[in-house]
Amino acid sequence: MRPIGLRARVSAAFALGALILSACISLVSYESVRNTLFAERERTAVRATYYDATVVNAGIAGPAPDVLEVLRSLDTGTDRYVLLHLDGRWHSRSAEPAVDTAVPPEMQEMTAGGEAGAQRIRRDGRPALVVGVPLAGSAVFYEIISLGELERTLQTLALVLTAVAIMVAAAGAALGWYVTRHALRPVTAVAEAARGIAGGDLTTRLDPATEPDLAPLSAAFNDMADELARRQERDRRFAADVSHELRSPLQTLEAAASVLDKRRDQVDERAGAAITLVTAEIARFQALVNDLLELARTDQPAHREQVDVVVLAERVCRSRSLPADLVETAPGTPPTWSVDRRRVEQALGNLIDNAVRYGGGPLAVRIAPGYLEVDDAGPGVAEKDQATIFDRFVRGPASHARGDGDGTGLGLAIVAGHAAAHGGEACVTGRPGGGARFRFTLPGFDK
Amino acid sequence: MSAVLLIEDDDRIRLSLAMALEDEGYTAHAVATAEEGLSAQRRHRADTVLIDLMLPGMDGYECIRQMRRDDDVPIVVVSARDDTHDIVAALEAGADDYVVKPVKVKELAARLRALRRRGRAAGLPTAPATSVLTFGDLEVRPEAGEVRLGGEPVAVTRTEFRLLCELADHPGLVLSRQQLLQRVWGHEFGDERVVDVHVGRLRQKIERETGHPRHLVTVRGLGYKLQP
Repeated sequence: MRPIGLRARVSAAFALGALILSACISLVSYESVRNTLFAERERTAVRATYYDATVVNAGIAGPAPDVLEVLRSLDTGTDRYVLLHLDGRWHSRSAEPAVDTAVPPEMQEMTAGGEAGAQRIRRDGRPALVVGVPLAGSAVFYEIISLGELERTLQTLALVLTAVAIMVAAAGAALGWYVTRHALRPVTAVAEAARGIAGGDLTTRLDPATEPDLAPLSAAFNDMADELARRQERDRRFAADVSHELRSPLQTLEAAASVLDKRRDQVDERAGAAITLVTAEIARFQALVNDLLELARTDQPAHREQVDVVVLAERVCRSRSLPADLVETAPGTPPTWSVDRRRVEQALGNLIDNAVRYGGGPLAVRIAPGYLEVDDAGPGVAEKDQATIFDRFVRGPASHARGDGDGTGLGLAIVAGHAAAHGGEACVTGRPGGGARFRFTLPGFDK
Repeated sequence: MSAVLLIEDDDRIRLSLAMALEDEGYTAHAVATAEEGLSAQRRHRADTVLIDLMLPGMDGYECIRQMRRDDDVPIVVVSARDDTHDIVAALEAGADDYVVKPVKVKELAARLRALRRRGRAAGLPTAPATSVLTFGDLEVRPEAGEVRLGGEPVAVTRTEFRLLCELADHPGLVLSRQQLLQRVWGHEFGDERVVDVHVGRLRQKIERETGHPRHLVTVRGLGYKLQP
């Protein structure tokens, strides 16, 4: 399972924290509002009931009072019901059934003892308040006040508070996301700088002053980049020095051999043969030096530019006196590729030279999206040699069989190096119908 | 017989290369330092100059720059260094071509011959001396060997001029780097950086805004063309 990222974790923690906090605040405020409202309502109800009780008490004082008339004279509105318990009978304004069960028995006992009181009950599934006031004699006056409106208000309040809590939690998550983006920005900068260095730009540096908290990281990163740059510069200088030291004497040999070669007719046959040998060996030595230096530099990043690979391949063929129609282009191949022109040219040239030397000449040079292939009709490469043939100074049996030591043993290693510089690889398989098929891939060719 | 000035500090290379060049039909004057080379060129102007980059005292780049100030002689760098950096720096200093040691004497001679060719004037002696190729405010007079920008003459080297003429002869047509290498430098299969640096040098002389060339434009992936 993929671990959850730092940003997601921080955001979740922020959201959870905000949710808990806002839920607590909501609960507390809901409770206190609820209590205050109920207490307020209760006080009002009790006051109203006492007032009504005084009216009723006066109304039933005379002999044979019209109880219904007295109850009807009360201004109760729609949310209050009045009940009168007089001489063991219940009276109400309407002929409501079961009015006697509306008042809970413990309340009846309490008022029968001459005490006034209030109690919350549920009536028809809705909250209500019963207030009982004992009157003169054994009469008791009750009022049932519906609390439905209050409950609706509280429901709305609960709904609003819940919504607020959820919004606060979401805001917390957003804040976490935003804060971590800021917190992680320096790290993103480090990642970008590292990518720059991996891409070959060794001048990339971080400024430790911009992010004091990450100064040690920036400093360590810069040290690493400095060391890399120093090392690469040292390698480059070494290659340059070696090339100078080897190439200078070769130039003398080359020029002197050319002077000798011009005077071949002035020397005897043996000296002439020796001149031929010297000239050939100078050429081989030169090829070897060039290949060694090339190999020493293959780890440098590819210098990509837009290259018409078909034109390039045709040119490589022509420069080796091979027909340009060897080049086959697979359908869907883009006309220009983003590759290192010089290195692709050299890699392809090396494969074709290889085919000429050991494979009886190339049969086809194939260009397909992302890779180049060279087919030959030679003996092919045995399966056990296929993995090692791209190593340095490894020569296949075909090379030993020829015995002329024409190649340097580095050509295929250079092909592999150039492919690797593009992020690709070189490989060899058998060609259907005999011979070898060399291929090197160039990822990122279509960028 | 054409004269070659060879500036090379390695005694053996100097000796052998001078001999080999004489075999190819050149008179070679070989010196060991940039200073000697500059004064030799002032005293007795050679037709082409071969120069090494790593020289004692004044280095090859500086020598090329100083020689370029008042001389359009073709300069070919013969160096053991083949870093892109070195090659581009030498070409930008004003060199016309670059070969990496060890170079085959025959190839060197071929390159010298190619650079010695003049513009169209020598090739077409019967062409009218008044022909003018106009590209907006840029005028190229192949026979007169003149380039004018907004009526003002522009000083270009011989190789820059031949490159410009080659492009001017094909107005609006894209020439690939390889085509230009073949026609101007006589390379069969050469290093395209030579073309790129020369185009850059030309732009500094014939473009008002080098960063946004109007006349000598790059056609991505194909090559260069000259337009009004």
